[in-house]
Amino acid sequence: MAKVHTGGCQCGAVRFRIEGPLGEASICHCRMCQKAFGSLYAPLVGVPDAAKLTWTRGRQKHFQSSNHAARGFCADCGTPLTYEAPDGIALAIGALDDPKAAPPVIQFGVEAKLPFTDRMAEIPERVTEDDMEAAPFLATLVSFQHPDHDTDTWPPVEPGANDT
Amino acid sequence: MGGTDKTLTGGCQCGAVRYRMRGEAMYPHLCHCRMCQKASGNFFLPLIGASRKEFEWTRGEPSWFHSSDPVRRGFCSCCGTPLAFETVGSGHISITHGSLDDVSAVTPVEQSGVEGRVPFYSELFALSETRSNRDDLPGGLEDVASTNRQHPDHDTDRWPARDR
Repeated sequence: MAKVHTGGCQCGAVRFRIEGPLGEASICHCRMCQKAFGSLYAPLVGVPDAAKLTWTRGRQKHFQSSNHAARGFCADCGTPLTYEAPDGIALAIGALDDPKAAPPVIQFGVEAKLPFTDRMAEIPERVTEDDMEAAPFLATLVSFQHPDHDTDTWPPVEPGANDT
Repeated sequence: MGGTDKTLTGGCQCGAVRYRMRGEAMYPHLCHCRMCQKASGNFFLPLIGASRKEFEWTRGEPSWFHSSDPVRRGFCSCCGTPLAFETVGSGHISITHGSLDDVSAVTPVEQSGVEGRVPFYSELFALSETRSNRDDLPGGLEDVASTNRQHPDHDTDRWPARDR
């Protein structure tokens, strides 16, 4: 059976499914991708055969960022989902249920790479548990994020009900 | 520690939502937790804190998704750009680093939520690099540059721009 990848937005209103292999994964540093993602760069993975991409729940809303390219996102929660151009569609890797399945192999748009981006693996690190004292609400937090797998119902009947 | 005390402006890709912050840029960091990943479709969410008293939305307002009871995430409902992270009732707001007009004005000082970090994170910085190139389009990169609908990286008097 062909490998299946699923994903969607944070709230779960938009879900997608890809049958078969993913295409090339990359990170793009260009200023359009930075601003569209609110980040240092955009991680995108191609879909080699658009026919194998199915929107299984809801649809992405589009912003036409230039005459050739549109960017899809969830209108309910804002998650960036796609980059769509004449040469095909690419998916935001962080929106995959398993982002580990798409390790990038190339960097694009490096003329706009930020001066500190290459040092971002060297700065100090901490796990979320370290923040419990400063932010005690974390200990009792109930996530309303859609789980990292398909679900039968949406919206969930109660917060966290889809989490298992 | 990577912060600044000058006025910083920013906004979404399309320009419908704009903000201004003054005072110290607090705790600029990258959050790798799975909630920040999925909210932004990315490997991590880079955030910069501001005092709510020294922060204002100067054009439009974001839409909000409550990713849990204590936390809500702001985004532009027109173009989807992730813009803000806010703990309800807190005197602070965090804005997304990539939505700043001058992204290089602030340098992240720490990585948080590293229990969710993708395993290939540190390898991303060694990937081969290419500059922006759209030779697949009839007019090349100029086709995008000349029709770019992204808001410029500074405040503007009116929106939407009439010449688009």
